[in-house]
This record gives sequence, C-alpha cells and structure tokens, in this order.
Amino acid sequence: MARTKGYPAALDKKLQDTKFYLDDSNPEFTKNVKAISRTTAHMCYQCGTCTGSCPSAPRSSYRIRLFMRRAVLGLENEALTDPDLWLCTTCYSCADRCPRDIIPTDVIMSMRNLAFKRDIIPVNFLKTVQAIYSSGHGVPNNDVNRAAREKLGLTRDPPTTHMYPEYIKGIQKILDHYKLKANADRIVKEREG
Amino acid sequence: MSESKFKFAFYLGCIAPNRYPGCESASIKGLKKLGVELVPLKGASCCPAPGAFGSIDLNVFYAMAARNLVLAEQMNMDIALLCNGCYKSIWEVNHKLKHNKDLRDGVNEVLKEIDMEYKGTINVYHIAELLYNDKFIGVEKVRDSVTNPLTGARIAVHYGCHLTKPHKDREFEKEIMLNTEHPVWMEELVAALGATPVEYRNKMQCCGAGGGVRGYDIVHALDIANEKLINLQEVKVDALTDICPFCQLQFDRGQIEIQEKFGVSYNLPVLHFAELLGLAQGMSPQDLGLDLHGISCESFLQKVL
Repeated sequence: MARTKGYPAALDKKLQDTKFYLDDSNPEFTKNVKAISRTTAHMCYQCGTCTGSCPSAPRSSYRIRLFMRRAVLGLENEALTDPDLWLCTTCYSCADRCPRDIIPTDVIMSMRNLAFKRDIIPVNFLKTVQAIYSSGHGVPNNDVNRAAREKLGLTRDPPTTHMYPEYIKGIQKILDHYKLKANADRIVKEREG
Repeated sequence: MSESKFKFAFYLGCIAPNRYPGCESASIKGLKKLGVELVPLKGASCCPAPGAFGSIDLNVFYAMAARNLVLAEQMNMDIALLCNGCYKSIWEVNHKLKHNKDLRDGVNEVLKEIDMEYKGTINVYHIAELLYNDKFIGVEKVRDSVTNPLTGARIAVHYGCHLTKPHKDREFEKEIMLNTEHPVWMEELVAALGATPVEYRNKMQCCGAGGGVRGYDIVHALDIANEKLINLQEVKVDALTDICPFCQLQFDRGQIEIQEKFGVSYNLPVLHFAELLGLAQGMSPQDLGLDLHGISCESFLQKVL
C-alpha cells in the first residue's frame, strides 16, 4: 500500500512513488522476515549468485533470487502462496557464496514460518511434528530394526525417548506451549479428512 | 584396552539408531579404540529435524534442541553426534543461545515449564571432527588403529551440507573444515583407512533430501541425488562414504526409489564413515549391520575383506 504523506488526496496521489510502492507491498513483511531470519535480506543487490548455486533451481521454477526480491519489496502474498517456497533443501550453498553476506536460506525459513501462521504448510512437515509428539522421534524404531540392534549388541530400543518414554511428557509440554500439536492435527484433518 | 582420554554424551538422533544401527555401534566401538568414550544421552529426542521444525516455527526448533542440550548439561558433558542434520540443530542452537540473550530467555521461559534451564555450559562436536582434529584423535591415530586396510578400494566422499554450511556461522578449530567449496579433510581420513579417495564433479552438491523436500516432492529430491550418482558413476568408485545418516538414507534407499521412478540403477554401496572405520578396524559386516542397507555392500566388501 502506498504511504500517505498527509497531503490533500490529489497531491498525495500525484507525489506517490508508483514504481516502488506496489499496491500489494507490505513493509511489515520485510521487517518480519528480518526479525525471524536474523539476516539482512534488504541488503540484496540481486546478483543471482544464490540462484546460480541452488541445486533446486535447475529442476524447477524455484528461484531464490526472486524470493529475496519479494523480501525487499514486501510482496507477502506472492512469496507465501508460491509453492516453490517449499523446494529449498536448506543446503546453504547460497549463504556460503552470497557476496553481501546474507543468508538467503534463512530468509526462506522465515517466510515458511510466516506461511505457517496462515496455515500454509505441506502436510509432511506436520506429520513429523505428530511423530515426535507421540514418540520423541521423527523416524521411530521398528521391529526389524530392534532385532538388528540386538544382534549388534545394542539395546533393542536406543537409550533415547524410546527406552525412556517418561521423557516424552516434557517434549509434549514444549510442543503444547506453542499449540503446535493442536494446529498440526487441525490442519492435517482439514486436508485429509 | 587403555583408559579413555575423552568422554562425550553420545547424541544419536533418529535415522542412525532406528535405520542404520551399525553407524551407532561402529562409532561407539571405533572411537573407544581411539581413546574416546561415548556414553548414552538418556531421554534424548529428535534433534528436532531442522527442515521440518525450522520451517514451521523457529522458536519451537530452538526450545526442542535446547531440551536435548540441557540433558547433556545435566551430565556435565560435551555432546558428540554422528549426523549433519543433528549438528545443525544441536550445535547451531547451542551457538545461537550462547550468543543471543533474547533467544536464551525465550527458550528458558518454556523450559521452566518442564523444570529445565539452558545454561550454555557445554560444547557440541561431530564425530568426524573428533576423528580429524588431533586435539581429540587425529588422522595419524586413525591410521594406526587400522588392522584391515581398505587397500584398492576407490571411495568418494559426500560431505553433506549442515556440518560445515553456512561456514560463516561455523567455528571449527581446524580451519580446513571451513572450506566448503573444495574441502579435502574427509579424503585424508579415507586415505588413513588405506583406501583411495576419489574426486568427482560437483562434490559439494546437496543430497536433495533436506529442508523437508524429500517428504514434499520426492522426485525433485531424488533428481538431485541422481545428479550426484551420475557424477560418481563417471569416476567409477567402489563406494560412497558420508557423515550423515539422512544423506545415507537418501543415497542408499534413494537408489531403490530412483530405480523405480527413473528406471536407472547404480548399485553403489553407501557407507557412513563410522561403518568404514569399523571395517578397517576389523569389525565384520555382521557386526556393522551392513545387511540392513538398501543397496548391497557385497561388491565393496569383496574388494576390502
């Protein structure tokens, strides 16, 4: 939204920067991305080193440079509703090569955090939350593996929350503090019935 | 056996203990021979998965990782771990909480509900770092511990991403580990086992599994792994070694999925460096649970046993 200068309406309109202040630009988005990512997306000068380093770019329409631009311009809806947001493998190659010392990967992570606040999130992410809520593990043990562990001289269950389930309660309290399990259950149910 | 010089709380994560338990037993036994004792970190959970949790809510990510850190603080012990993904969560959150009071206060407010407090009193290490850094073990000692040199085997290294990237956030004592364009320190370790380390095109590329992509768009993730497998085929290696069980899952079980979905097969054995170390120190394939791998290690074993 264009900023008003407090002039009479006709002058306000005439003296607007119509190129930069796009109707769907939200300056708060730029600030939120910075606060969550703890990196300086607004320093990006669009050189494209990030996209050139990205393993996801050559096999999709995902362009990290485009997301960096959206961060600078405050294009919240465009960024958060683009399914390509979820194609970053978080390899941090862009971060290692960025000549402006920005961490573009963390910009993506912050946008994903902001998307989740609007219930935009692929279901597989939520299923990991559900698995950890019930067992403490994202990839839990199984019977084939228990037998194998025993043969190797290990305990059938690893000495984690698997062997000491009394620790799971603490994990559940942390996740409940953020209402993460309730939100995960609700969204999964909405999507899958 | 000589008394252990170093003791660490051994943080296991999920995929090593629950899918490739040979990595766990080989680490414990292999490092014991090198003067490092790994003791169980009771009640540890998922690190939590940095791709999934970091994407959903970083505050939850910090709090969950902090809980694992506090368990080790209570034992008054530094953490050793064997997975790059876990390193990202456990090392990086420890580092962030130590240096950012606002994050630390936020985490402790939540941990108070479960009678825990993050204090920032311990350090976190990957076992690859312990093996490479002579302050703990070092390449020479690794070489001296070899009883079954892997002579004649051509082995390529997959470094993975989250141990060393982003390098500007990392703080390794060995500066060579901060090189993320063309590192060779893992190759030194491979050579110490008697094998021939092999370079290949685009060595530092990601396996494709991270960031939740493997779950979100499996063919996209597999296509990234396949690109690396094509590059590895070019240089004719006997095995690929990794230091991350999630990368291992992506390359090992992933080869079966790549066969199903893309119709190409490689049959390239994929072993965690701890498993390689175990073999070189005389452990049998049965002691290492290599039969649990998706891709048979037989062709490689015939070369080195």
